[in-house]
Amino acid sequence: MHLQTASLLDMLRLTRFPPRWRRPPAAGVPAKNVGFRKVASGVSSLGSASPRSLNIFDRDLKRKQKNWAARQPERIKFDYLKEEVGSRIADRVYDIARDFPLALDVGCGRGYIAQHLNKETVGKFFQTDIAENALKNALEMEIPTVSVLADEEFLPFRENIFDLVVSSLSLHWVNDLPRALEQIHCVLKPDGVFIGALFGGDTLYELRCSLQLAETEREGGFSPHVSPFTAVNDLGHLLGRAGFNTLTVDTDEIQVNYPGMFELMEDLQGMGESNCAWNRKALLHRDTMLAAAAVYREMYGNEDGSVPATYQIYYMIGWKYHDSQARPAKRGSATVSFGELGKINDLMSQGKKSQ
Amino acid sequence: MSGNGVVWGRVRSRLRAFPDRLAACGAEVRSRQASMAPGGRLRKDLCAQEFEALRSCFVAAAKKTLTGGH
Repeated sequence: MHLQTASLLDMLRLTRFPPRWRRPPAAGVPAKNVGFRKVASGVSSLGSASPRSLNIFDRDLKRKQKNWAARQPERIKFDYLKEEVGSRIADRVYDIARDFPLALDVGCGRGYIAQHLNKETVGKFFQTDIAENALKNALEMEIPTVSVLADEEFLPFRENIFDLVVSSLSLHWVNDLPRALEQIHCVLKPDGVFIGALFGGDTLYELRCSLQLAETEREGGFSPHVSPFTAVNDLGHLLGRAGFNTLTVDTDEIQVNYPGMFELMEDLQGMGESNCAWNRKALLHRDTMLAAAAVYREMYGNEDGSVPATYQIYYMIGWKYHDSQARPAKRGSATVSFGELGKINDLMSQGKKSQ
Repeated sequence: MSGNGVVWGRVRSRLRAFPDRLAACGAEVRSRQASMAPGGRLRKDLCAQEFEALRSCFVAAAKKTLTGGH
């Protein structure tokens, strides 16, 4: 993988977004940087850059966490979940009877999808992520790739460029999901497809409940430790609003057994999935952790002493409109009325005779 | 003394020993859970007794491993 500056400049639209799209400043940043954020959302010509400027996650911290995770000496042992979801997304790509000369992976991490795809299906792959260490330590793959450091909400590409956009387990840390989806829709060619995987509402519910119970009992109140996820009905609306056609959303549950709650938390941190919501509590008391581990084991533990953790994944597929795609029939073009449903046998035999 | 990640490594190794010590206190864990499922409102220190039992068992297990030449 290498950065090709000559052809990149064709693709990058530096005039559209302010040059420093790598580091969108977040709220809570000193006053001199606040002007930046206003400029960023002002320049964007997408009508729906929301005026309320959702800011749930600290993107700076998420970048640091991902950088840290990608630099760990034992990072490979935390890859299992992302590998699995990456291979399922690659399955869905193979299911589509088409090749994609140019593809984009948004929030690629160390490249979990690309290594399951082959050169015939995808000609060239653009990998983007906010963490440079993840791009530097990317896994080996046979498809030629170009790595671009970019935030999911500020894609630096021209419109109508990519045949395929994939995103595996990174959009759940995005602040303005409608906008990210709109940008993805924008960079897709007509008749291009977007295949994404997100964590769903039931993910890590055991951890969430155990921590909640333990914190209430030990400290008298609780604060959120697991970040908020999108609901499945909202996904459909979001994709529709972003302009995607022919949507498909399906859900999968992966249950992983861990020896205990501490191992689960360590793995989550190793994956780079630590909480970075602004409303997170910075401290988790030892007593609370101990109590939560006990509750987790008793409420959800398996017979052999291990504890399960549920990861609920939503897979979404959306197409960019093209004339060749199937469309609902025009109003008034019906040849048979519903009232004649009782005579369907006659109608069908009539049809056969005329053939 | 203050190399790269030395403090973090030290704190983490302490945290990593938690599960082993927790395993040694299985009975207390179960009694704690039983008391935490009253079906009514969950208040602070509802299961304080059971938690203290769990904690002292934990500390005892920690002392054992520490004096055992950690």
